[in-house]
Amino acid sequence: MAKPFQVDVVSPEATVWSGQATFLVARTPEGELGIMADHEALMGALVTGPVIVEDESGQRTTIGVHGGFLQVLNNQVTLITDRAEIAEGGRDDAQAVAERLASQEAADE
Amino acid sequence: MAGAQLRDTRRRIRSVEATKKITRAMELIAASRIPKARARVLGSQPYTAKLIEVIENVGAGGAGASHTLLERRDVTTVGLLIVSSDRGLAGAYASSIIRLAEARIADIATDGKDVVLYTVGKKAQTYFRYRGYRIEQAYLGVTDTPGYGDARAIANAVMVAYVDRHVDAIEATYTRYESAFTQVASQFELLPITPPEMDEEEMAARVSYAFEPSPEEILNRLLPKYVEATIFNMLLEASASEHSARRRAMKAATDNAEELIRHLTVQANRARQAEITTAITEIVGGAEALAEIK
Repeated sequence: MAKPFQVDVVSPEATVWSGQATFLVARTPEGELGIMADHEALMGALVTGPVIVEDESGQRTTIGVHGGFLQVLNNQVTLITDRAEIAEGGRDDAQAVAERLASQEAADE
Repeated sequence: MAGAQLRDTRRRIRSVEATKKITRAMELIAASRIPKARARVLGSQPYTAKLIEVIENVGAGGAGASHTLLERRDVTTVGLLIVSSDRGLAGAYASSIIRLAEARIADIATDGKDVVLYTVGKKAQTYFRYRGYRIEQAYLGVTDTPGYGDARAIANAVMVAYVDRHVDAIEATYTRYESAFTQVASQFELLPITPPEMDEEEMAARVSYAFEPSPEEILNRLLPKYVEATIFNMLLEASASEHSARRRAMKAATDNAEELIRHLTVQANRARQAEITTAITEIVGGAEALAEIK
């Protein structure tokens, strides 16, 4: 069993997801990034796209994310997003949600 | 005639009752909005807390902390952001924030510096425009349910002014929400951002990061976010404070109306009693007069 680590996904309005996870995938300007426990300290920007979190029971949560930052430090992963929403329909849905969030932001301005 | 006084008092009772219904409804509306406004304040806190934590880490983790928004320079013009309300009927809510802002403006003027204003809410805009202050930007329709987009718009305006050196510092006044009973008009410096103090030991305890992209790039994006989040927090707290203040003001108004109705009812009863007494006296007097004639 993979070692778990703490994940917090926050947006300005609310905490979107918080809990223990064993695996996380996120997208930065440099490309997609997979994180497991004991990952080196990392500070990255996030781009519009899906984030996948796998918890200890192997359950996957997909989240559509638009903009923000990713911090990995001492087995704590923090995603500080501009906008984020849990997408029920897996990876493709998360991508769609992320794009919708991006267009919402564009409409805001 | 006594009947006129009775009618008059009854009319006043009806009018006060109508007012009471309105203030009562407004009290309930304000009360129903408080929990949501408070939940939003709480909901926004983790984001800000995490953001501050990350900025501290980045500052300690090697990013040379030099950025326009951190740079302190000689101040000739101060931008003052005033968060008030769009509507009244909230007791002293708007006037206490305006009083604080005006005192601050006077202080800045005494120091020989210029002030430009950024107002949120109609109350501050009307007050300061009438008195001939320079209002750079006025935001309306924000305070009831502030959105992150509103905070972003305000943040952008003040950051652009700061970076373009139209202003050399940004201060903010808003009503801090401490609890359901305590809301405090407060003031703080928004720009330049004051980097968190850290001693050597703390610095050493931090791990150095791998940055993706460069530390400067990250800091470039983090600091504006921090300003946005701070303003968003401020708007949310002000909104919760406003709803609380309005609920209290409307409750006081309703209680007052009830008191007035009680008082007027006593008066109406007295007038009615006086009328009856007069009538009886007249009848008795008339009957006695008749008896004497017989």
